[in-house]
Amino acid sequence: MALKERPKPFLLPEYCKGCGRCLDACAKDCIHLSDQINPLTGLVPVELDLTNCNACGLCMDACPEPYGLRPAHEGEIQDFELEDPAKLFGVKPSNAPEPVDMPSEVLPLPRTEPLVIKGTYASALGALLAGCRHVYGYPITPSTEGAELMAKFLPKLDGTFIQAVSEVATVNMMYGTAGAGLPTMTFTSSPGFSLMLEGVSYMIGAELPGVFVDVMRGGPGLGNIAPEQSDIKLACHGLGHGNTQAITLAPSTPQEMLDLTMLAFELSFKYRNPVILLGDGYLGQMTGKVQLPETMIKPGIPKWAVFGDAMHRKNVITSIFLTESDLEAHNVHLNAKYEAMQVEARAESFLCEDAEVVLIACNTPARTAKGAVQELRHQGIKAGLFRPITLWPFPVEELKAAIHGAQRIVVVEASAGQLEDEIRLALSKAGVNQFPEIESVRRMGGVLPQQSEIMTRVLGRKEVLA
Amino acid sequence: MSKASVFYDRFERHSHGEGLKGHATHYCPGCGHGLAHKYLAEAIDELGIQDRTVAVSPVGCSVFLYYYFDVGNTQAAHGRAPVVALGHKFANPESVVVSYQGDGDLASIGLAETVATAQLGAPITVIFINNAIYGMTGGQMAPTTLMGQTSSTSPSGRNEYNGQPLKMAELIAGLDGPVYVERVALYDAKQRIKAKKAIHKAMKLQVEGRGYSFIEVLAECPTHLKMNPEDTEKWVKECMEPVYPLGVKKDLTVDPWFKRNAPCFKGEKILSLAGATSEHPERFCKGFPTHLAPNDISLKLAGSGGDGAQTAAMLIARAAISEGFDATHIPSYGPESRGGTSYADVHVAEDEVLNPGSPDPQVLIAFNAPSLVKFGPTVRKGGFVIYDSSVVTDAPVLDPSIKMFPVPFTGIATDLGKAVVKNIVALGALQAATNIFPKDTLLGAIRTALKDKCALIPLNEEAFAWGIKSVEALDK
Repeated sequence: MALKERPKPFLLPEYCKGCGRCLDACAKDCIHLSDQINPLTGLVPVELDLTNCNACGLCMDACPEPYGLRPAHEGEIQDFELEDPAKLFGVKPSNAPEPVDMPSEVLPLPRTEPLVIKGTYASALGALLAGCRHVYGYPITPSTEGAELMAKFLPKLDGTFIQAVSEVATVNMMYGTAGAGLPTMTFTSSPGFSLMLEGVSYMIGAELPGVFVDVMRGGPGLGNIAPEQSDIKLACHGLGHGNTQAITLAPSTPQEMLDLTMLAFELSFKYRNPVILLGDGYLGQMTGKVQLPETMIKPGIPKWAVFGDAMHRKNVITSIFLTESDLEAHNVHLNAKYEAMQVEARAESFLCEDAEVVLIACNTPARTAKGAVQELRHQGIKAGLFRPITLWPFPVEELKAAIHGAQRIVVVEASAGQLEDEIRLALSKAGVNQFPEIESVRRMGGVLPQQSEIMTRVLGRKEVLA
Repeated sequence: MSKASVFYDRFERHSHGEGLKGHATHYCPGCGHGLAHKYLAEAIDELGIQDRTVAVSPVGCSVFLYYYFDVGNTQAAHGRAPVVALGHKFANPESVVVSYQGDGDLASIGLAETVATAQLGAPITVIFINNAIYGMTGGQMAPTTLMGQTSSTSPSGRNEYNGQPLKMAELIAGLDGPVYVERVALYDAKQRIKAKKAIHKAMKLQVEGRGYSFIEVLAECPTHLKMNPEDTEKWVKECMEPVYPLGVKKDLTVDPWFKRNAPCFKGEKILSLAGATSEHPERFCKGFPTHLAPNDISLKLAGSGGDGAQTAAMLIARAAISEGFDATHIPSYGPESRGGTSYADVHVAEDEVLNPGSPDPQVLIAFNAPSLVKFGPTVRKGGFVIYDSSVVTDAPVLDPSIKMFPVPFTGIATDLGKAVVKNIVALGALQAATNIFPKDTLLGAIRTALKDKCALIPLNEEAFAWGIKSVEALDK
């Protein structure tokens, strides 16, 4: 009796690819390959003769196509004319709801006395206050303390810290959590950041937020663990394959390690794009005064997320656009976002209004340069410091204002000219072709430019190059 | 048996759902993927978890898994699906996450992620389609290609120079993380029923929070094996199965364990973890110590690891900040911080420390002779050098404008019964020698640092007092 109630199979030949898996699944020899090619598919489908069918169902289990062999329900007409599949199968649009944004909440924090903490800790606290409870990482000097603090604090906040098998795994765990719509971050250093770049490209392509704190160290290769501004080029122009850009922040104090980490999360969600925070080894280890903010964030879930619940079921996170025109349109969309990010350019100009000598530096070298500016002013030289806080987008309007009256420009950096390249590119793109010859104070390999070297350069016009 | 409702009614993402593609998969006739999809869809249906499911599409022929499944979908980089799955699982522990991967993805480029995720053991479900060949890239050798099997990158057949085929189910079952590992096949009705059950079980174990499951599916790829579908099924049975024996490789009985609380967003909790307090520290300074420098004082503390130079430096920075000044401390850096010399650059500034390095300090505290020899000559004219006269017997001759303070840090500390307080003796000496801050400022920083070890406060106060006395004795 139960057997009789089971439905017999039913097949639209258009949805049969003729693989024949159903042929030997049938013990009653009901199924045969047709002797004719189906004109719609160009394939040879099977044909059913259900005279002997006992509705065992094995043929349907054997059919790999979702719309292939399927049960003929009671009353369903079996000899029909194919019109619109939607009509035939009934219009059942996905019943997944239209997702809406569940906004983040800004919660008040009591005012506290300043902390005295190192830069990596300040960044970690910034991430926690920005609502990040999912941190993935692979230990690498000199960024490790950030991850260590997270490993200590997150379990107490019912958050997640996973030490991944590699940086490659790290960035892809971030991809997963970011895809679920939650804030996530990692601490890394130059060689580790190199390994993450594949994932960064995927995150940009799939429009996922995430914060990368790269405490830069000496390179190339294994290099050393001393501070170098070695990844400016990578962050500004080399975020993996394809048309990729991300806002790149360059803090110069422990306070900024906290403030800019919080900003990084905000911008990352605002633009659905990763944000890179470039620190240097000195800044990571340096202890200083850090004032906590008066508010913190409890994150919501954005409407585009794949959270794994009913609300977000219709969403997909992907970076594939197989059709050329689709991928071009996606890139046009990304370019529009990159263009919109230009308003995020930030810089600090210190005593540049009347400066005849403008020093340009970021990260720890900017502090050394600030000391030099003060010393030069004591000696009666009109010096100023221009410090880009975003390296991408480069604050070129602020730079133009800062060097307006300058007779000399001196770029101070712990790299072989990576910052200078950004400056030249920004000026060139802005159509500024008239500016003083750029002079340099450069050190590499983990050696930071010293204040005395900057003084020598400015006062003696002597080339200071390693 | 019927079309699972988990499949979209129309495959909109497949060529924009136009024509037959709106209802047909992109797989070749005879391919195993369609069946594995169908059994997965049925399991999702039967377990009632469509809303909670997140399917991770890999790179390979099943890259377009998200065309078909009406669940949350994400598409991962090549080989990275299991860790993307972890990212989803930890973001929402209620979600049910499936990492669906082929042999190139799972067993080659993603091997590290595969093994690490399996060993981690968090409840996700991995479905591994092993068809012994690279499909999407066009028939190259896979890690699972059989010995002697030809492919476009093993044209004369896989040989010993290509290594042996990788038996993933056995490898994964050998790990401690997974709870359930089975290898199944699709070549006949009996195997298909087992495959369907295995996938259902692997999903159920995740739903129940019991752990990580791994199902290896021996699948057919007629296109790249260059056979018709029927012969491919036969090939899987006769050639693949002997190398990759079917069956349950691991099946543990485990109680549900994966239960995670919602993350905490209580500000007080974060502040307490960070040690932040609203209490105003008492201030003792009448103003910035301009007798040392107009607005920025540079100090260096140098010794061996264990001398406590870093702690003393930190206490100076904290004392300064408690007085409302700015301060920085940079510890010695690099390999030398592991054992050898340990030195610290400290700045105290009225408003803002501009340059935090101390290449030419105004104050040097040296805990041993090499530090004094190395940094003594860098001290600015008119500066201060305070050194441990217990260990430095022969001080170098420095600029006559520099004031020298030989204080037996170690001797005093040892007499007090704890050699480790020699850095506190040094801080006392610093106070008396430079009057950088009032005594109470530094004592306040010391007491705050020891607030969890109150018993040690009297000893440290005594050490501090002895440092002061020693300097005062020098003046007499």
